[in-house]
Amino acid sequence: MRPLVLIKIALFLIGALIIADARAESASVTAALTSSETALGQPVQLEVKIKGTTNATPPQTIAVDGLQIALTDTRRSFEMHGFSSVESTLSYGYTIMPMKAGTFKIPPQPIRAGNTTLHTPELTLHVTDGPNRGMARGNQGATPNPFAGEDKLAFAELVVPKKTAYVGETIPVVLRIGFNSRTRVLGREPPNIGGQGFTMQKLGQEDRNLETIGGRSYIVYSYKSAVSAARTGSFQLGPIETKAVILAPRRGSGVRRMPFDPFDGDDPFANPLFSDPFSMLGERREVTVKSETIPLDVKPLPPGAPPTFTGAVGNFSMTADANPKRVQVGDPITVKVEIAGRGNFDRVSAPSLSDESGWHKYPPSANFKQDDDVGISGTKTFEMVVSPNERKPTLPPVTFSYFDPVKEKYVTLQSQALPLVVEGNAPPGPPIVTTTPKASSAASSPGATSQQPPQLLPLVREPGKIVHSFAPLYAQKEFWLAQVFPLVIAIGLMGWRIQRVRKSNWAAIRAAGFQRETDELLRKLRRDVLPPPEYFSDASRVVQLKTALKQNIEPGVVDADTAARVFALDKERSERMRRLFAISDELRYSGKANGSVSSDHRREALELIESLRP
Amino acid sequence: MKQVIFAKLGMLLFGWALFTTVWSAAPNDAQFEKANSDYVAGNFKEAISDYNTVVQSGEWSANLFYNLGNAYYRAGDYGHAILNYERALRIEWQHPEAQANLRIARDETHGLELTPSLFERYVSADSIGALTLAAAVLFWLAVALVVLSGRRPLLVSAIVCFVLSGCCAIAVYTLVHGSRGQALAVIVRNNVEARVATADTARTVLALPPGSEVLIVQPRGDWTYAQLPNDQRGWIPTDAVEKIQL
Repeated sequence: MRPLVLIKIALFLIGALIIADARAESASVTAALTSSETALGQPVQLEVKIKGTTNATPPQTIAVDGLQIALTDTRRSFEMHGFSSVESTLSYGYTIMPMKAGTFKIPPQPIRAGNTTLHTPELTLHVTDGPNRGMARGNQGATPNPFAGEDKLAFAELVVPKKTAYVGETIPVVLRIGFNSRTRVLGREPPNIGGQGFTMQKLGQEDRNLETIGGRSYIVYSYKSAVSAARTGSFQLGPIETKAVILAPRRGSGVRRMPFDPFDGDDPFANPLFSDPFSMLGERREVTVKSETIPLDVKPLPPGAPPTFTGAVGNFSMTADANPKRVQVGDPITVKVEIAGRGNFDRVSAPSLSDESGWHKYPPSANFKQDDDVGISGTKTFEMVVSPNERKPTLPPVTFSYFDPVKEKYVTLQSQALPLVVEGNAPPGPPIVTTTPKASSAASSPGATSQQPPQLLPLVREPGKIVHSFAPLYAQKEFWLAQVFPLVIAIGLMGWRIQRVRKSNWAAIRAAGFQRETDELLRKLRRDVLPPPEYFSDASRVVQLKTALKQNIEPGVVDADTAARVFALDKERSERMRRLFAISDELRYSGKANGSVSSDHRREALELIESLRP
Repeated sequence: MKQVIFAKLGMLLFGWALFTTVWSAAPNDAQFEKANSDYVAGNFKEAISDYNTVVQSGEWSANLFYNLGNAYYRAGDYGHAILNYERALRIEWQHPEAQANLRIARDETHGLELTPSLFERYVSADSIGALTLAAAVLFWLAVALVVLSGRRPLLVSAIVCFVLSGCCAIAVYTLVHGSRGQALAVIVRNNVEARVATADTARTVLALPPGSEVLIVQPRGDWTYAQLPNDQRGWIPTDAVEKIQL
């Protein structure tokens, strides 16, 4: 069993590698600048990412007149997609140092990836020599101002590509926190940025690099974000601040600096390890790293904004399409407008039709797909439903305006009019109701007529029938209270019915009792062992019971005549019946224990009783 | 003697009912009249406030909601206008003015309406009361037949009555939980969008013009989960939607 599992795992891994290799066949490359604008002497980073390959040969340097471009960072990462594929990404970081002002084109660079050669896209970098357009750092130039100067353990830096901006313009910023590579970071907080008068996007994903700054190695954590000025004026961006707990080499380790230090303080032999081997345990220190602030001058947007301008600042392009293109009057048409580019997408609102007459417009829906970590660039898609109120040959052009901070002017984008086929006639207007209102018309009032559309029916003056609840009938208390009435009737009917049943049951029980007693007495009479008084008493009782059963009367009220009438006895048998009752009474009341009653009398009495059929 | 006592008791009850009616109706009538006057004078906001005062008193009428709908319409609040016309029709489903003005307001906003089910196309939600009564009457008739009968023909009739009563009850349940039932609500704000999650940044399911109808599935704080006119479900800001049934 176990070998089988191992074989399966091996097959899976081989499959995954094959898929990974297969992905390498479809390798792709992207290249991006951290900023498309910079100032003379201010470096920017170029990041080249190659996906879908594990082996690539990038150029070590890129030759562009006026720029010094050198490969400074190489990273490799793997990303697992589900359980079946692993994607490899190679990242190459180039540092670009502008040597002169101007606009530079970085040409496509060939990169050998596996068996194929990929080319990076062409990039443009604007380099200015003026301080206003240059990149500003929240420290002293390109060299960060390390924390706790002597130890040079950490630094914080805020990188802002420009010092002037327009209100509403989104400015990308980079927050960088560096720790000397000789320290060990035990814990740290994400950086906070201070300042007022601007809004800030949430921090992007953390990026970790090893950089050499001022001859020292730092592990630099970078966070991309964007700020947008909310009002005009001069502001101070930052400082950024963070707290960290680090394990640093012990201070005062006894190693003295030589007057002439060829290693500029980074003498490997000056490491505490050589003077104090136990110092490698280090000293735990809680440090607060803080950058300097960056001045930002925010200018107001120039006057003369087009009517369709809603506050979008940046650089955008627009495409529009509508579907379906053949409709009836009143049918909905979905107009899909995509606005792509770079800028403050939160202020990019739905474009409008250049001519809305004859159209009914519904509120649009919006969806934004960002292309970067902080949402400065991307595509915002609007879906707007419109319906023609009359025949129309085209959908009017869709118009969108924005302010371009580079060109420093408003730009209005307009799509082409889309041809449509609208069939049918215009729907009828709101119905003119001719019914007479219940009460006097408020429309006749001079104060109200000027504003009222003619179709709306006037007020009703009477309050009308008052209700206290919207609840349906079954949820109203009164409904259930009303059910008490039929419930009482039903209970009464049921009681009456039960009584009736009980009554009929009682009659049956009584009849059964009489029948049982009759049978018992007849058995005793047939045995003929009873003394005369008891014999005739029982005989007369049997007659009474039989009569009662037949006539449904009380046995005690039955006498000889009643029995004769009930059983329709002839004269002779009636006489015998009377004699039976007479003998019974005589024996009962005379006190004779053994009367002179012949056995013939007894037999005659028994025959008479047995002849009585119920 | 007994008859005299009953007559006195009846008169007492009648007098009390009359007194309470007059006593409670008088202030609302005055408020209603004032609201009408405000409306006629073109003071629609004041009229809305006055009508709403009467609504808050708990004494409602179709005319009250109809007038309130008119005031909202004049004030340009078509969502609330449609809501109040619907309320007027909920009380008096054949209110001709409310029907006419509701149509006008709907034409104004192009609000989306819920699609009635096949059953609801044939049986109007206004029949809920009649169906409830029919269910009750048939039920008690069946009970009476069961109690009274010992014979087969009456028992069969009782079973038929029970079945019919059950059908009426099911019809009531279907209507109450249908597209015109208790959960029916109206969008009262402009630019409302139903979203897939309870966040302003969540993807939009449907844009809802004011006056659009939704069925409230579950209110949850600031957001309400609702069934939408396109047969999907989505989250709507709670303050943007109001139930027709108060």
